[in-house]
Amino acid sequence: MIAVMLVLSVAAFSQTKKVTGSVISKTSMAPLAGVSVTAGDKTVVTDSAGRFSIDVAAGKTMQLSFVGMNTVTFTVTKATQTVSFAMEDASNDLNQIVVTGYTSERKKDLTGAVTVVKMDDIKDIPEGNAMKALQGRVPGLFISSNGNLNGDVGVTMRGITTLNSNNPLYIIDGIPTQRGLQEINQSDIESIQVLRDASAASIYGSRAAAGVIIITTKTGKKGRTRIDFDVSASSQYFNSKLQPLNTQQHGQAYWQAAVNDGQDPNNNGIYTYDWNKDYSNPVLNKVIIPQYVDGAKTMLSANTRWFDEISQNSVLQSYNLSVSTGTDHGSTLFSVGFYDNNGIIKSSNDTKVTARFNSDFSFFNNRLKVGENFAATYMNDVILPIGDIFLLSQIENPIIPVHTVTGGWGGPVAGMDDRQNPVRLIEQNQQNHNNFLRLFGNAYVDLAILPNLHFKSSVGVDVAGNYFRSIQLPYTSGFLSSPITQANTSFDDEGTFSWHNTLNYDLNIKKHSLNVLVGEEQVKDKNQNFGGSGQGLTLANINYAYLSSATNTILVNGAGSGDALLSYFGKVNYTYDNKYLASVTLRDDGSSKFGSNNSYGLFPAYSLGWRLSQEGFVKKALPMVSDFKLRYGWGQTGNQNIANNATQTLYRSIYGTDITWNFNQGTAYNISGSGTGSLPSGFTPIQSGNPNLKWETTTQSNIGLDFGLFNNKITGSVDYFVKTTTDILINPPYLAVLGQGGNTWFNGASLRNKGIEAIVSYKGNITRDLSFNLTGNIASYRNKVLYLPSDVLTGYAGNGTTQTVLGRSVNSLYGYVAQGLFTSKADLDNSPTQPGKGLGRIKYADLNGDGVIDNNDQKFIGKADPDFTYGLNVSLSYKNFDLSFFLQGVQGGLEYNNYKYLTDFTSLAPGSNWGVRTLDAWTVQNPKSTIPALTLVNANNEGRYSSYFLESASYLKLRNVQLAYNLKNISGFKKLQRARVYIQASNLFKFKSKSNTMPDPENPFSAYPIPVIATIGANISL
Amino acid sequence: MKNIIYTTVFFACIMFASCKKYLNETPQGVIFTQNLSTPANVDAQVIACYSSLGNDHYYSPWSSMWAFGSIRSGDAYKGGGGPGDISEFHAYEVFNINNPTLGPGDQTWYQLYVGIAYCNSALNLISGMTDQQYPNKLQRTAEVRFLRGHFYFLLKILFNHIPWIDETIPKTTYDTVSNVSFTSDALWTKIENDFSFASANLPVTQTDLGRATKGAAQAYLAKALIYHAYTQDNSNNVTGVDLTKMAQVNTMCDSVINSNVYSLMPDFADNFLPQYRNNPEAVFAIQYSKNDGTPQGRVDAGHCLDYPMDGEYGCCGFHVPSDNLVNAFKTDANGLPMFNTFNTNDVVPTGDYTTNTFDPRLDHTAAIPGHPYKYQTDLVYQGSWARQPQSYGYLLSLKEVVNYRDPSFQRFPPFMSSSKNWAIIRYSDVLLMKAEALIEMGQQDQALPLINQVRQRTGNSTALLVKADGTPTSNYKIGKYQPGVNCTWTQDFARQALRFERRLEFAMEGYRFFDLVRWGIAADYLNSYFAVEQTRTPHLAGASFTKGRDEYLPISQNQINFSKGLYKQNAGW
Repeated sequence: MIAVMLVLSVAAFSQTKKVTGSVISKTSMAPLAGVSVTAGDKTVVTDSAGRFSIDVAAGKTMQLSFVGMNTVTFTVTKATQTVSFAMEDASNDLNQIVVTGYTSERKKDLTGAVTVVKMDDIKDIPEGNAMKALQGRVPGLFISSNGNLNGDVGVTMRGITTLNSNNPLYIIDGIPTQRGLQEINQSDIESIQVLRDASAASIYGSRAAAGVIIITTKTGKKGRTRIDFDVSASSQYFNSKLQPLNTQQHGQAYWQAAVNDGQDPNNNGIYTYDWNKDYSNPVLNKVIIPQYVDGAKTMLSANTRWFDEISQNSVLQSYNLSVSTGTDHGSTLFSVGFYDNNGIIKSSNDTKVTARFNSDFSFFNNRLKVGENFAATYMNDVILPIGDIFLLSQIENPIIPVHTVTGGWGGPVAGMDDRQNPVRLIEQNQQNHNNFLRLFGNAYVDLAILPNLHFKSSVGVDVAGNYFRSIQLPYTSGFLSSPITQANTSFDDEGTFSWHNTLNYDLNIKKHSLNVLVGEEQVKDKNQNFGGSGQGLTLANINYAYLSSATNTILVNGAGSGDALLSYFGKVNYTYDNKYLASVTLRDDGSSKFGSNNSYGLFPAYSLGWRLSQEGFVKKALPMVSDFKLRYGWGQTGNQNIANNATQTLYRSIYGTDITWNFNQGTAYNISGSGTGSLPSGFTPIQSGNPNLKWETTTQSNIGLDFGLFNNKITGSVDYFVKTTTDILINPPYLAVLGQGGNTWFNGASLRNKGIEAIVSYKGNITRDLSFNLTGNIASYRNKVLYLPSDVLTGYAGNGTTQTVLGRSVNSLYGYVAQGLFTSKADLDNSPTQPGKGLGRIKYADLNGDGVIDNNDQKFIGKADPDFTYGLNVSLSYKNFDLSFFLQGVQGGLEYNNYKYLTDFTSLAPGSNWGVRTLDAWTVQNPKSTIPALTLVNANNEGRYSSYFLESASYLKLRNVQLAYNLKNISGFKKLQRARVYIQASNLFKFKSKSNTMPDPENPFSAYPIPVIATIGANISL
Repeated sequence: MKNIIYTTVFFACIMFASCKKYLNETPQGVIFTQNLSTPANVDAQVIACYSSLGNDHYYSPWSSMWAFGSIRSGDAYKGGGGPGDISEFHAYEVFNINNPTLGPGDQTWYQLYVGIAYCNSALNLISGMTDQQYPNKLQRTAEVRFLRGHFYFLLKILFNHIPWIDETIPKTTYDTVSNVSFTSDALWTKIENDFSFASANLPVTQTDLGRATKGAAQAYLAKALIYHAYTQDNSNNVTGVDLTKMAQVNTMCDSVINSNVYSLMPDFADNFLPQYRNNPEAVFAIQYSKNDGTPQGRVDAGHCLDYPMDGEYGCCGFHVPSDNLVNAFKTDANGLPMFNTFNTNDVVPTGDYTTNTFDPRLDHTAAIPGHPYKYQTDLVYQGSWARQPQSYGYLLSLKEVVNYRDPSFQRFPPFMSSSKNWAIIRYSDVLLMKAEALIEMGQQDQALPLINQVRQRTGNSTALLVKADGTPTSNYKIGKYQPGVNCTWTQDFARQALRFERRLEFAMEGYRFFDLVRWGIAADYLNSYFAVEQTRTPHLAGASFTKGRDEYLPISQNQINFSKGLYKQNAGW
């Protein structure tokens, strides 16, 4: 919506004259300092009272621009003398400046599919990662996350682009990085722009295939000194637990399973049963639980609720303070943030301290600008085996007490699985911390060779290091024990140096507007690591557990690697009469990862736009249309995300590896036969090189339209895309005869995604005081594997020969079809041969009709891709209150419910605890149940990949609800620039399909549970 | 204006003047192909071939073969935490639910070909060296071919039809070599060729005790030939015995015996105690080590599940002697095995090892409640040490484990094992292979002293089988075969005696199943075993051996798929 503009006073002058004015914010009604007022080649900036004065000729246009506000354009007439403007927050404005890669454009000139995130909607969500809060808010952008404290997420844009990493490229203040946003203070982010299609992203060439997300951090505003303080505190809890059996119930399920097997249930070492001993019509009178679990009488029988033992309601705190100032000659912002997240798993913690210093200085009448953006992030995480702890809390037997009678650790006894006590895992690991430090920033110089010709050079440095020190403590826990006390220390660092130079030329002649950009960029990555461990510590104490304290079994390791990119690029934007838009991009990228024949890849793109709403005939015929733009874009982007030296055949000496869970990969051998001492070592191929490797290329076409109706009350856009990735780099499983190091990268697969995305906003007022804003979006894509070399087909779903993933989604699921249970003797007798079949057992479909259930009776039984994803944001504003809520959902698609191993079976993990669903399993007496009869022996191989485990992945979540009150208009707060308090909740409700038996369809199995987060917070600005 | 142009050009030059070398990245911490061809590195590659001998893991234990040859033979139950704990091994044990998608078969296949690939690579490197550069050329070639023969031997007895890849085949054509390119007969010949070459070119002794010797190669050649000698048709039926090959077996065994390098250890126990590593009975053994600078030592990881569940150990109770096996150790009044009646009364539930008499090898082989564990009179094995008695009873295997106080014991929680060597061929095997060859050749009388030599040693192996009070752990009685006195030594009887002797001598050592298949009796033997043993333990419910199929593991579906159908599935699968 165009800003409200009032012409207060009129006077008659000709030629150049002085125009004075003042600018306020429409929202706060406070004077706006630092607004750039441009007329011709003159630019002035408003002072702290929002006032300005500028020389301008009548008939010329004046432009007022301010970051975060809609740009105001005003034509000076002979009468103009003093003017007053109220600028509006830029939420959905066509003049909004959008950073599109080494340069910026007005939103109305955009020809690519670009989404500008409304930071207001997400800025107070304390998830520790701005991307997490974006789930469902940007059509086509899918965020997969769990409750993991450090906030790491998976991001896919417009479906799966490649079979490698699908994480997008982040451009933070112009510096490319593929590290996640959890390492950036959310409060420092001024804007997030998501470049969804290739015509927008291809200027970033080689790494842009999976999408580009541009982050701009805050800077000081001209003419204003400001202190911002944000504080919030949250309470977190997990509201949907799995229901494992209690001690009594576990005994009951065991009894049923044993009786079903025709075995004496009393032959189990723990429980004794009072029952009628009639296997054909069994009746259980009583489960007798022994006083002690173990023969040595150290563990009293318990009824431990393991999840309760490892979880807690926890507190999350976040504080941010920023100080900024700006003058005509530069601006400065300094911010510090503190984030402390105590997870819902006991002792888990993530503490994050961030600091940022952004500044810029102008010289020679603004012709030379020098600046820097610099951020430091320190994160400290307690490193717990979270996956194990969470899983164990579901499967540890409830009869095991947390502690023995003497205060030792409870643990498994004979007849149980060798599972660790999850409380012990917490207690004995809570002293282990990872320290992460990232220094990230850039320094730049921007020289106006001419007012419309800029040379810009920017040097970026990104260094991230982890220092992890831990102690492994000895324990005895049931029959599990370890006498080892071991100190471990490791350090790894990853550094990126980047440098880019651009020349940017603007030309506006009459109705023609031209922008030309040429540039060059070089990026060098290096990483290295080393680690050590040692045993024989005199004190089993983290404060002593340094490598130098070790007296035996001292081991070291270390490695390093690097890669480089060298790129040239250019872009031309052309606009005619604000109606016809065109843009051409070309980028030539060289990568060290490819052989010299193929090291360079050329990534072209073009796009066209037509603003129909500017055409007279449209204006006349459709007056309700305030904006209407058709866009078409085509472009190519690349991917090089593979091992650094994949073109070469390489070998390595591997002295020995950790053998606990894996084969010894070592090439050393005790050839002397002495049984000890240092060994001679051979070497092993680690990969087979492919000198012909080249870039993976994603070609994308996007057709879109942006519209605004009824004076932009309703705005929106719709995009349809076809994205085809060819020459996908794959490193498939290979024929065993090739041996170690037979793995080779090659350009093999092709994938296509077709999809449609729409976003619509409606802004309105019900009364003068009550306004609302609805934004809904929906996105859908269909994935298809176009090509896979026949060698690698078996690496994907299907049988690799007659049934392959070709022509299907790469997320296709392949397996047996479970057709319910065998419920009658006749049913059993008349069914095909199926080893292990029996009453109450799962019946599998004889798909090939040969009368035998075997490997050939598998087919494609679904796909994991959702039919569509959607989000709906509603914000209401009434006087000083703001209420918003955000719903996000996924519809369609199947997911494999790993939990069913435990919730539905006693045979797949017979020594573990099971779920309460087992109590409702099929028996002759309970013939309607669909849960297979309990058994202790999985003779029917029911753990096989079958439709029994597939469940609908659909869900709808109330992601966020927030109520805020603006104190600014209350006396006592009037001097503040901002004073706001709010309460909010994240993940408060969810709805899922009835057929889905898992606690959270978004988070299958043992990842960190996604908690409900209730927050109270305040934003204050001086 | 000129200045502006110059400035622009200047900046443009800065931008585009970057040098090409910018993209040259040298791989870090790696060895390149061109670095390999030095005598030192060729020697190192030979070490890599040896390293594959012991690089196995509990999920695919090819060093000892217990999961393939012991629990499939009626000698042992899988053990562990119930049938679901490594359910693939359960499928192997009961046969009827085995299928081509199970992981251990695929992994073992892969890992053995890793060893073969090391060997082929080493052979190519060696052949690129001149005798001057590399004086050990011939000997190292022989060692590598010995090792390759070993890996192929294991593949052959597991999978029958396997692709033969040697150093003459370029890597680029590996995908054209089918598992049926060669007949079973031709494959055996190729394996025998490797061992022949090795036996012709290896020294009688080696300074490095881990290296293959002439005796090891001759013994292994005998082993390959004795399998080869029982001819099989395409449905795994044994159709006859090739006496020419049996004669070669006899000759090879003679060479080993006459070398005077090898002998039986005085006490059977010595073979399974770490302090006797590289003893004269160990014709070829995998060398394990600890305190060697590797994270947990290069220990016997393949056996790491086989320890009991008491506080001193704690995991994982796999590899449990069957009741049938324990009963087989019963002896009659003459101290001879009870070929046909041993299994009539089950001694295991009674826990009574004094009323009957037993072959002393019982207590070297099986951990029994109330009996000292691993010869430690103060470490008595308890029923409570069993992992899952409701499924697998209370026994456990002993040969592969060590006393926890032994210096070779190594923990890698939750698992543990030791640096005790594991013999692939013991001298008693050489004696019994010779005996078998002679019996099949109708010279059973000459076989008799060989079998008796083994039994004689067993009789001398009771010193360590005592309780804390010095009394014998069980009631031992073992006698020699004395034709005319306690037996009639016909060919059939001798064959029965030989086969029974092999069972008792090598029980739980991993090869029993392959003996049964070789002799062509697997189906009958195992189905009879299941019929009785199913009444003793619940976990064998449904177990049955399908003749013409279960003699070999199926070719992994993965490998058939990766080969695009070039590999053909085994008979019956």
